[in-house]
Amino acid sequence: MARTELQNLTISEAAGLLERRALSPVELTEAVLQRIAVVDKKLNAYITTCGDQAREVAQAAEKMIRAGYHLGPLHGIPVALKDNIYTRGVRTTAGSKILGDFIPAEDATVTARLKRAGAVIVGKTNMHEFAWGGTTDNPHYGTCRNPWNPERFPAGSSGGSGAAVAARTCLGALGTDTGGSIRLPSSVNGIVGIRPTIGRVSNHNVVPLAWTMDTVSPMARTVEDCVLMFGVIAGHDPLDDHSAQVPVPNYVGELTRGVRGLRVGLIHDYSLAHVQRAVGDTVRAALKTIESLGVEVEEIAMPSIQGNISAQLTIESCEPSTYHQEWLRTRATDYGEDVRTLLELGEMYLATHYLQAQRYRSVLRKEFLDGFKRVDAFVTPTLPFTATPCGATTVVIENGQEEDMLSAIMQFTGVPSLAGLPALSVPVGFDAEGLPVGMQIIGRPFDEGTLFRLGHAYQGATDWHTRAPSV
Amino acid sequence: MNPQQPVAVESIDRLCALANLPLPAERRARLAPMLADLVAAANELSRKLARAEHRAIVPIVRFPER
Repeated sequence: MARTELQNLTISEAAGLLERRALSPVELTEAVLQRIAVVDKKLNAYITTCGDQAREVAQAAEKMIRAGYHLGPLHGIPVALKDNIYTRGVRTTAGSKILGDFIPAEDATVTARLKRAGAVIVGKTNMHEFAWGGTTDNPHYGTCRNPWNPERFPAGSSGGSGAAVAARTCLGALGTDTGGSIRLPSSVNGIVGIRPTIGRVSNHNVVPLAWTMDTVSPMARTVEDCVLMFGVIAGHDPLDDHSAQVPVPNYVGELTRGVRGLRVGLIHDYSLAHVQRAVGDTVRAALKTIESLGVEVEEIAMPSIQGNISAQLTIESCEPSTYHQEWLRTRATDYGEDVRTLLELGEMYLATHYLQAQRYRSVLRKEFLDGFKRVDAFVTPTLPFTATPCGATTVVIENGQEEDMLSAIMQFTGVPSLAGLPALSVPVGFDAEGLPVGMQIIGRPFDEGTLFRLGHAYQGATDWHTRAPSV
Repeated sequence: MNPQQPVAVESIDRLCALANLPLPAERRARLAPMLADLVAAANELSRKLARAEHRAIVPIVRFPER
């Protein structure tokens, strides 16, 4: 394979070659760094690149593998981290001016686990400021762009991670997801992203957005690659008070179990309602494919589903405004206009609004847990629309009606976030303009394995994930 | 309070005073219509949660390990 094509390898493919010493980590890392140098001027997916450190780590990996010490599937694999995840000695801005000079003295637990597995960190990715928004139109580090069409947004808040994975400027990345920030950019960039069950992956040393909803997780081109990264970062962390003591299964083994006999639910008057026509048609076609693999699809009523957007907005307003309370009084002009406004609004809810929103989560979770007695997973589109133009603050979903972007973007991804459930976004096709469409699969608490099985089986039957943007 | 205008600029002034959040007048004026929409939706959710069938529901801020 030509050096210029190495970045097209999936993690799984590259890991096999590295283990057999048919590929050098140095060669692979150089190919990725070269790709960043060529492509990232157009996309602005990175805030910081770590070329020198990456080369050093790759050289060390090469020596180890040559000496017969292969640490596992991430050894020598170039990855990127969203810039709100602490990296010892490397600037971690959270996409903000306020943390513009922050160089952590410690790694996040997820960073440390990736390093221990031998991953090569090539850079820190662009994001919506402090993860509070879904466009990655960053006023301090520039607008991040979608590799499928650089005039379109990469969504957010992990937009840089999504664009970087799709553009082959890393083989996989970590993002963070509070109300959809991994799944939204995974959808519009045509890649895979998993939001884990709350407590499954440590949040230690990750700049928070909303404490009761925050998660960290991988984004990659295939479900299998997500699994390889997830297996490394998942599991109890005594440094995170919200970390769960739940055993981590062998997710790679789960992938071989197939999906025949699984049952998938569509939420009545919600799963396929109020979406752009192309999104609805594409997800319906994906469901047919899943049915052809032996999965049963049935419709289930969930009467409390309406109300989710208000609950999400309330919690995602009040919790960040608590974290940012001091900076909002001392450094207000250092925030971008949109985030500053949201933080100001978050100070103005009543305590009863916040607590009712938290009570709503209990109601919603109970309805899902009841639903899981009948089905193994629920399906929705990830987003009701495909990538909008960069800078847009409204979106048209149907009937020519303009809607507020922030509320529209939360339509489907907020629900599992509120209910504390895992959810996977898988690419399932393209609209007429060549923009990717994603499907969200929601699972039982701590049952990420079933989501991986469904996503992997779907990718085995389709080739959407093999298509690359021409950027 | 005028029900057509549940969040007036004066309401924002009072909330800012309560929160000890000094905001310029033009920002307070901008926030009023936005907060009106958010509060209307939050109040609607509160009404839903006040129904008898939800009386035993407690807030969920930490998720059980199952």
